[in-house]
Amino acid sequence: MWLNIAARLFWRELRRGELWVIAFALCLAVFTVVSLTGITESVRSALSQRSSNFIAADKILRSSLPFNEEIFRTADTLGLTTAKQMQFSTMVFAGDLMQLVSVKAVSESYPLRGNLLLKTSEQPDATLLKSISAQQVFLEPRLLQLLNIRVGDTLELGVSRFVVAGIIAEEPDAPLSVFGNAPRLLMHVDDVAATQIVQPGSRIGYRYQFAGDSAALKTLELQVKPMLTVHDRWQSLDRESAVGSALDRAEKFLLLAGLLGIVLAACAAAVAASQYSQRHQMAVAVIKALGVTTAMARRIYASHLAMVSVFSIGIGLLLGQLASSGAQWFIEVWLGDYRPEFSVRPLWLGALTGLICATLFSARPIWRLAAVPALNVLRQRGQSFQLDIWQLVTGGLAIWLLMWLFSGDWWLSSWLFLLCLAFAALLLGMAAVLVRVAKPMAAGQSSALKLALANLRRRLWPNSFQLITFSLALFLTLILYFLRAELISQWQQQVPAGAPNQFLVNITETEKPQIIGLLQQNQLKAGDFYPMVSGRVLTVNNETLADPESQNDAERQKGEQQADAAGGGESAKRNMEQTTADNRVKREGIGRELNLTWLTTLPANNDIVAGAWFGTADKAQVSVEEKLAERLALQLGDKIGFSVGGQPFTATVSSFRKVDWNSLQPNFFMILSPDLMQNFPATYLTAFYLPKQQTALLNEMARSFPTISVLSVDNILKQINDIIAQVSLALTVILVLVFAAAVLVLVAQVQATLEQREQELAILRTLGAKTVFLRQAVLAEFAALGLMAGVFATVLAEVLLAVLQMRLFQLPFSLHFNLWWIGPGLGMVLICGLGWLLLRHLLLLPTPVLLRRALS
Amino acid sequence: MVKKTLMSLLPKIDIQAKALSKEVQLPDARLTILQQVNLTINSGETVAVVGASGSGKSTLLGILAGLDTASSGEVYLAGQPLHQLDDDARAQLRAREVGFVFQSFLLLPSLTALENVTLPAELAGIKDATARGRKLLADVGLTARADFYPSQLSGGEQQRVAIARAFITEPAILFADEPSANLDAATGAKIEDLLFALNEQQGTTLVLVTHNPQLAKRCQRQLNMHAGELSEQQPEVSDVA
Ligand SMILES: Nc1ncnc2c1ncn2[C@@H]1O[C@H](COP(=O)(O)OP(=O)(O)O)[C@@H](O)[C@H]1O
Ligand SMILES: [Mg+2]
Repeated sequence: MWLNIAARLFWRELRRGELWVIAFALCLAVFTVVSLTGITESVRSALSQRSSNFIAADKILRSSLPFNEEIFRTADTLGLTTAKQMQFSTMVFAGDLMQLVSVKAVSESYPLRGNLLLKTSEQPDATLLKSISAQQVFLEPRLLQLLNIRVGDTLELGVSRFVVAGIIAEEPDAPLSVFGNAPRLLMHVDDVAATQIVQPGSRIGYRYQFAGDSAALKTLELQVKPMLTVHDRWQSLDRESAVGSALDRAEKFLLLAGLLGIVLAACAAAVAASQYSQRHQMAVAVIKALGVTTAMARRIYASHLAMVSVFSIGIGLLLGQLASSGAQWFIEVWLGDYRPEFSVRPLWLGALTGLICATLFSARPIWRLAAVPALNVLRQRGQSFQLDIWQLVTGGLAIWLLMWLFSGDWWLSSWLFLLCLAFAALLLGMAAVLVRVAKPMAAGQSSALKLALANLRRRLWPNSFQLITFSLALFLTLILYFLRAELISQWQQQVPAGAPNQFLVNITETEKPQIIGLLQQNQLKAGDFYPMVSGRVLTVNNETLADPESQNDAERQKGEQQADAAGGGESAKRNMEQTTADNRVKREGIGRELNLTWLTTLPANNDIVAGAWFGTADKAQVSVEEKLAERLALQLGDKIGFSVGGQPFTATVSSFRKVDWNSLQPNFFMILSPDLMQNFPATYLTAFYLPKQQTALLNEMARSFPTISVLSVDNILKQINDIIAQVSLALTVILVLVFAAAVLVLVAQVQATLEQREQELAILRTLGAKTVFLRQAVLAEFAALGLMAGVFATVLAEVLLAVLQMRLFQLPFSLHFNLWWIGPGLGMVLICGLGWLLLRHLLLLPTPVLLRRALS
Repeated sequence: MVKKTLMSLLPKIDIQAKALSKEVQLPDARLTILQQVNLTINSGETVAVVGASGSGKSTLLGILAGLDTASSGEVYLAGQPLHQLDDDARAQLRAREVGFVFQSFLLLPSLTALENVTLPAELAGIKDATARGRKLLADVGLTARADFYPSQLSGGEQQRVAIARAFITEPAILFADEPSANLDAATGAKIEDLLFALNEQQGTTLVLVTHNPQLAKRCQRQLNMHAGELSEQQPEVSDVA
């Protein structure tokens, strides 16, 4: 019987729109969680797939020991694809010429991710191959020049002879920086044994490459764990590269946006449910007077809530999934080779959010609604339905739980939650004070304003609560708006238009003016020229450094040579992480040549973290990159013994530098004071921006200056720009979502007071107040509320922005001057506009209609 | 003939109150709203409770109808000891035996006129609720308004719907709290006529709260409420006969 009545009432309520605000709030909460989680996961997997292209696999196991076939078999049984790779340096001979080369020996399946392009001749229309076969070697073009041979000629590698099968046009996992690196030779891994190059003690890097779905990769990691030795190490995708850090910040932003979105949607649900209860207490009293028991009333309204919840959660899940599928589709179109992975996590997280919002936020008001005494039918007014302590406690707990579930980071969620709580308390206090202060202020004002202020004051508590939600909504929107702007501008600064995309290394003193001239002829501008010499670090405070273990050394050496020269932020970082990770000896040596430079001024992307940059009078000093300093356990004032070209000298450590490896600018581990190195023969490094249409210049350069190496970072720049554009778009979408949530909270709030306002208006109208006067009073009230909320939100936003920027995003602190007019302005316009929109029909009603409605 | 004599000899008692008191605790004082009210209303009687505003009429009505509980004393409604029943039992009793007409109509805004009328019948599990509802709407002259929502009806029309709603379960007892106070005199008079007509038709016991002496006169008995104390005005027997 009650079901019948419940069902009938439900459809009626639905038709009258009473339940929509709750439904919409729940739907929004679910949608926010599903879409944000989904989009975050897609962006994350797209990015890691992208990075996979750069290591030619999804996962790599590096080893200094020969391949353990058992590991490959394990991977095969898990359905993963595998490839082998060996890397080492050796000499090649062609006729009378010989050259140190960096050999990469791979299997046919290489590359598992990304593209390998091999040209079978030097002609532009040459046949392209996508993988290598046995007995083939492919060379980097400059190696042909260095050895003075052509495709089809023969070269000797160890005891084997090979015919040059072609040149390498594109190598997915080419080092991003090759300064000082030997040119590349690509061969088949099965041919290595025959060359007899690999001898006991040779420094060979072995790489097991795997690709496949992430679950299988995880399983693999677990299964091969017992087979690994100290010589084996998983290579992780570096998240701190330029791309990685952009993504990291974006992820944090999405996370934060999601958390704030949840808070807003939960607020909206709570407000909507309270309002619903408020508006329905007479109806409950009536049906109870007509003989419905409290339990039955509870069942009726709980069933309404249940139906609304199921409906809204369903819609929310659907729309959320659509949004994240849309995002996936977008990424797929954008990236081409993106393989979307379906994940159920967003869905169950969203459903859970909906359930928690429905039960913990709405259940309490509905519970109290059913408890309204039947006696109320004889009283002319209902009791007011303020938030009670139970709702605050359960609601607070629910928000916290949701934040935790969503972020998987209890620290961040607790922190943010407490912050919101503190803000709410602060706002309550401020609101109370302000509303009280408004009384004497009203004395000299026009009567419309006086009425508005009187209204504000009379409803101090409901208004304080309203003020809190208004402020919170504005505050969260402002935070996200400014953080988004901040992040995007930060990323754009990182890769400004016209940033150098070509690096030139190995320029001699005499070539220097020629290069400048050539660039000038082409209307291009060379950057600074950095002098470079190769040197070794022998001692620290006269203590000879332990030679690092030979295992892994070839790898590490390669990395560092790239890294300390220039531009190689990505690999530098990767290697640094790797080497600092196995800091087994107290002071680990570097044991190989480093590129050293000397400069009079501190490079732009460097910050001194300890000590001071050399003055002009300072002699024999060195500035060390902070991570390297850590690894060498250096203190300021330590004396480092160097050797350059067999000539030893000592320098005192005078400063530590933090280097922005993301900057794609020349970076150095060690910078010496100018006096130290002027007597050594140096070559120069420079960088310049080359527009796409002028790429032909590179060939001309290669012909005129065969010994100069050119490195293009166009690819990585393009990658970063793509990702920034993509992530910026995602951020904008999320901002819009959160703004929608904020508006919803405002609407729910204003609607909550609608009935009361109707009665007030009726009374004022009967007393003879003119429509214009009432309109002004209502607008003034909302404007005042909006302004207050805007000011609170602005102050709080500025504080939180400062904290977030510095703590969570590691961005420099800055004041947001725009905030100070956008915040209060937005508050006033938005709340005034919404108030007007929602109350307009009431204000325009003819008095008799208004009276009848108010009294019925 | 015999039956009639028996009935007059042993009138069925519908409502009985013994030493009813109602007190409420205010922040700084204890307020007595009802003091030692004793009352017996027989089946089929029409009783008016008159008194100044704030004298405690509605409070008494609430207690007699089982909407509220007294601080002390006993109440029997349709033979049931209300003071011993819990909330739910009282609600079930109301669903079976009681109808209400309120001062401010109190229709459910989300239901149509017809649905408002049939609601108590559905709650009481009556099968032909809709047919009954339509008939009652016809009785109050609102056949054409059956599918209107309360907001589309005038005050008088709303109260007519409320009256139809009150009678649909054919309750033994009808409580009306100032049913015409919110209406203009002419409409109010029509409403009163309707109320008494339906009451006569169904033979319902009527407890009518009003501050209007004219209206009170239409009832068989008039009770006077003054500052929480109830006294009965003896009706001139000749008038009734
Ligand atoms: N729960 C209560 N708390 C405080 N005062 C009450 C309560 N219920 C009724 N009253 C007071 O008791 C008096 C009688 O109320 P009521 O029975 O509604 O009067 P009437 O219906 O005769 O106008 C009024 O002064 C009213 O304010
Ligand atoms: Mg009353």
